[in-house]
Amino acid sequence: MYIFKAAVVGAGAMGAEIAEVISASELPVVLKDLDDAMVAKGLKRIEGIYAERVKRGKMTPQEMRNKMDLVIPATTFDDFGDVDFVVEAVPERIEIKKAVFAELDQVCPGQTILASNTSALSISEMASATKRPDKIVGFHFFNPASVMKLVEVIPGSQTSEETAATAMEFAQSLRKIPVRVKECPGFLVNRILMAGMAELLRVQEESGASPEEIDAVLRQAAGLPVGPFLLADMLGLDVVYHVAKTLEAAYGDRFHVPESLARLVEANHLGVKTGQGFYTHTA
Amino acid sequence: MDKQDLIDRFIFAQFIEACHCLEEGIAPAKDIDLAMRIGAGLKEGPLAWADSVGLDAIFWKLKALSARHGARFAPPALLQQMVEENRLGVKTGKGFHDYAS
Repeated sequence: MYIFKAAVVGAGAMGAEIAEVISASELPVVLKDLDDAMVAKGLKRIEGIYAERVKRGKMTPQEMRNKMDLVIPATTFDDFGDVDFVVEAVPERIEIKKAVFAELDQVCPGQTILASNTSALSISEMASATKRPDKIVGFHFFNPASVMKLVEVIPGSQTSEETAATAMEFAQSLRKIPVRVKECPGFLVNRILMAGMAELLRVQEESGASPEEIDAVLRQAAGLPVGPFLLADMLGLDVVYHVAKTLEAAYGDRFHVPESLARLVEANHLGVKTGQGFYTHTA
Repeated sequence: MDKQDLIDRFIFAQFIEACHCLEEGIAPAKDIDLAMRIGAGLKEGPLAWADSVGLDAIFWKLKALSARHGARFAPPALLQQMVEENRLGVKTGKGFHDYAS
């Protein structure tokens, strides 16, 4: 199935970046959120990404304007009557996701594929909120989506082969590298990464070593581009905590989440975005 | 803090999880390594890494880690089977991946 027009629901950081990726591939994309301010913030982020490319000589100002023109801002579903592929990027709470999917199911044409950018929630459960569970699929970008090449394509229990194949092809047309992943909590990359992170949290709890020390050792010895604790701060500790708890519930002891992480989240120390997490971040 | 132990625990925890993903059919070995390189920025995927170290060495290391830190480091059944079949990675030409001699 060829995709002529796409839409992204949720104009936060992830949603905006995904809309940027789609517009960069010359496809019209509706960017929808609840109000004008949220949509404007998303547009601004997209503009920022393109402006940086113009500055680095990777594209002309005219090309930037053409790509920005492909992004259709929206606060209603009026523009969803002819979309072929929707990516949902709303907050990671299953009840919000299900409400969005139920609404998309009403407003989109019957053949439209409805994809979720969730990093941890059940695709099959979201699909249950619609009358088209065969056309629901996980479509998981990595942060920042404008840069990172990987997209995990996750068919749910009722996703059709055709939907999965279309999602794989669509990701390729966006110049991403799709990997097909069987549905499981955490999917593939986050599941493996979080197994390492859970062990580090355990080391920290046992030894009292600081995040800085642990990150330094791992950057040096394991050749990691960014230390895992700093990476967690960048992702947001609320997100990390949520994923970690999901994995602990699914896989048990090896994903044990220590109290220390819960305390940081309770104190609203969420990492870079609040200025304090495992590290102190100054603007 | 025992630095080598820290590094081992981090790397082997990820390796074990990659094994579980393979055992559960979450993705084939080549996709697991590809996803970890382009999605997590690793220079080498965890399964290719184990193949180059040697799966017999990985197996004995996991035995030692599980004795010290607990059953979560116990060698996965798949790894044990591969070692029994002399599929030890790069050095025998077969491991998680195939290596033409």
